[in-house]
Formats: sequence, C-alpha cells, structure tokens
Amino acid sequence: MPMERRANIVKLAAADNVAVALSDIAAGEMAVDRAELAVTAREHIPLGHKIALRPIVAEEPIVRFGMPVGLARAAIAKGMLVHVHNVRSQYLENEVDHYE
Amino acid sequence: MSDAQADLLARIPRLDLSRMRGYPRQDGRKGIRNYLAVGYLVECAHHVARRIAEPFQEQGAQLIGFPGCYPSDYAHRILEAMCTHPNVGAVLLVSLGCEEFRRGDLKETIARSGRPVELLVIQDRGGTRATIDEGRAFAAAELARLKAAATVPLSLAELTVGTKCGGSDGLSGITINPAVGHAFDLLIDQGATVMFEETPELIGCEQHMASRAVTPELGAALVAAVAKADAYHRALGHGSFGGGNIKHGLSTVEEKSVGAYAKSGSRPIVGLLKPGDRPRRPGLHLMDTVNDGPVRLGIPNINDTQTVTEMVASGCQLIVFTTGAGSVVGQAIAPIIKGVSNSRVFQRLSDDIDVNGGTIADGQETIQEVGEHILRKIVALASGEQSRSEALGHQEFALAYKTYEPAGPACFPLG
Repeated sequence: MPMERRANIVKLAAADNVAVALSDIAAGEMAVDRAELAVTAREHIPLGHKIALRPIVAEEPIVRFGMPVGLARAAIAKGMLVHVHNVRSQYLENEVDHYE
Repeated sequence: MSDAQADLLARIPRLDLSRMRGYPRQDGRKGIRNYLAVGYLVECAHHVARRIAEPFQEQGAQLIGFPGCYPSDYAHRILEAMCTHPNVGAVLLVSLGCEEFRRGDLKETIARSGRPVELLVIQDRGGTRATIDEGRAFAAAELARLKAAATVPLSLAELTVGTKCGGSDGLSGITINPAVGHAFDLLIDQGATVMFEETPELIGCEQHMASRAVTPELGAALVAAVAKADAYHRALGHGSFGGGNIKHGLSTVEEKSVGAYAKSGSRPIVGLLKPGDRPRRPGLHLMDTVNDGPVRLGIPNINDTQTVTEMVASGCQLIVFTTGAGSVVGQAIAPIIKGVSNSRVFQRLSDDIDVNGGTIADGQETIQEVGEHILRKIVALASGEQSRSEALGHQEFALAYKTYEPAGPACFPLG
C-alpha cells in the first residue's frame, strides 16, 4: 500500500512535459502528484499554472493532456513556471502581457 | 455477461448494473424515463401549455416548445426528435392556430412512432380555459397509463450520453472535465454511444481530433467544423481568449480549448453530428453546434440549454454537465447529472450538484476515481434514481432560429 500523500500537482496524460498546480506552490517546495511524480519547484507556481516536469528546449511543444498547447519561446528548466512569458500560441498571438 | 462488462465490474467497486431498466420503444431504442411531453408550437401557446403541465410536474409532464411564429426546418426537426425521443411516452401539442408551424406533420410523425398524441388548437377549442381543461384531462389519463407501463432490462450499450460544460473555471480543465472523459472512455468500452459539442470552444484541438477520427475524411470534416466555428465567431466579433484566462494559468487559446476537449476522453471519434442527427453506431461523436452558411440568424446557441437540447434531440437519454462557477440547470426530456470542478462551489451549491470533482484539486481523489463516481451516477439514473436537478423540478428547454445543411457522407464514415 503506497503512502498516502497530498498531491499539489496533477499530470493529465503520460506524455505531458508539464503538470498543473492544484494549489500555490512556493519556490523550493516539492511538487508531488497522487502517484510517483516529484519535482522541486524552482520558482513560485500559482494554482492552475504549469510547472516543467523535465528540461524543455526552445521551440519544443508544451504538452498538456497529451496535446501540444503551445511552443517554448526559449529553453525552460525543470521545475520552472511555464506560461505566456516562455510559451507562444500556434494559433492566436499571445505576446501581449495581460499577466499581472 | 460480456467480457467487457465482467472486466468493468471487477475494476470498479460498488457498481450495480442489475437494476438498470428501460421503457422499450417501437424504433428499438429504450427510454430511462416515461414522460408526457407538453409542447407549445409558438410563444402565444406557451402560457396555456404551461398551465396544462403545471399540476402534473411531479408526475412527469415535461414542458417543451418553440417560441417562433415563422417557419423553421431546424426547430421542426428538433421538436420532432424530442416528441419521438426514447424518454417520451406520449405527447400533447398546443397550438394557437395561426402560427406557421407544420403541426399536422408533427402530429402524424408522433402517431407513426407508436405514441399517443393529442393536438389542441386554442382558437378552435374555445380559448384558454377550455384548452387547459381538455389538456389536463388528456394529461391525467396518459400519465396514469405511462406510470403503469412495463420496463425491460437496460444495458450500458443501450445508453446515449452527451456532455456539456457551462460556467467553467480555472480548475474545470484539470478536474471534472478529464473525469468526464474517463467516464466516457468506460462507457464507450461497454458499447455505449456518447457525444461532446461546442466547436467554437475547440479551436486548436482540430488536428488532435482529426488524429482520433476513424477515417481521414471524417478527420477533414472535424477540422472543417472547427474552422467554420472560428470564422463564424470572428464575424460575430467574439474573442475567446484573454486576460482572465491568462490570470488563471492558461497560456494559449489552444490550452484553453484542451480544458473543454478533456470531456471527450481518449477513444476514437466515429462521427460528426448536426443537431437532431441520430448516431448510427456506438462510440464517440462530435456535435457541430454552429450554423451552416453566412452569419444571418445571430449567435448560434443562445445559452447552455439550447446546446443541451440539441444533444437530447440527437438521442441522449441523459447529459453530464460540468461547471466551475456553479450551474443549476436541468433539461425537460433528459435528466442532467451535474459535476463541479471545485469543492468550494460544491459546498455552497451541494443541493444542486451530483458529483464533486474538487476532490482532485484537494489531492484526495484521482481523475479516474471521480470518473468512476460519474459512471455510478449514470447507472443510478438509468436505474430510476433522480438527479439533483430532477429532484428540484428543473425542466429547462430552449430553441431559437438556426440553419443547417444536411450532414455529408464523411460525417458517418462507418455507415
């Protein structure tokens, strides 16, 4: 019986290179899911935001739920926040920083 | 018992398929309810129809109708599908008399389906009071008969289930929507027919959908349906991605779409339906919710209920509806199961919500476990249990003007 642990991220499909935060995760905190996954957050990951599960190279697709949801603008290190500052859309321009 | 069913029962605890019962219909389908549909054929007959149905709401009189006075092939098709829906056992039509709805055709189609049907024309019957009296006499007699009707065993393979989201939040795409997707995978593996919708909310998912299509021609049709939705909404001036999404952690429009798309699960897509089209085989279907042709009749679907109504017209006996902000809706002809994305809204609206997906965000349950709760709830409804919206008397129904061309052969690749 695996030890019961409280997950603070969810990985939606096996092929994903990002997981989604289920609560605010502080820099340096361990991000864990309900299974085996564990990665140290290298910066603050707010609720609902994505954390890199492995190093992602520039122009590599960001994969969530097994689907490409954008391209990395530059290399993203494991444990870093993945969002508009380092992801661009293949559909609509998302350069404009609406982000606070 | 099939191997697939034995495997399901072995894997999912507390799943009892033995109590599922259906009302057999002449066309081979089975209903999970035995409703009397009371349908008004123009807004001018709405009040009379409502008054007829009112005293019988707890007994299964369900109010439906179309408000428009001008003819509409779309509305005719949807009302025809509703009045011959497996959950409907008898129909009462209420007409003012001078509207352009082809009431005689509709009555004849219903009669041919083997259902008792009455058509009351208010102008011929002597007005409001006389029509209400006659309508209530018909309703009382038919409801007594419907209540006594025999049921037969029902299997998951005989279910058609649709899913819709409304009032989504930042957690919808990572909790309750993927859980519905898992429940859909389980249903499909048992031979059920399922459908998802909202092509305007699937921009960016079209290539992935095409990769799941059972033929390249269907894949091309799925891509075209999303392109049509994109062009239509651009012409209407609707943008779908902005600051609020980004604040909640969504980086691109295609990432936002993935949240809604998650409801579709992972199985192959076998068909593309237009509202009222009946699936011709089991498996996963996409419903094309946007008008064909130029923008001329306004917003394609005016609210969540019209989209749900279209899926019910295509044969869904029940609907799984997901929400983040907290929707309370039901549907007149098919019961709705509501799932919520977060525990905060579940606690606030606990009387209205059937399944809490917030436990995934709380780190207490997995997507698969919540998907299994949804499947158990579907089985419970098909075993006669009421959903929350049913128990609260919800009977939402909406129809507005739309235009469609018939679906092409690519939409039904396997015949």
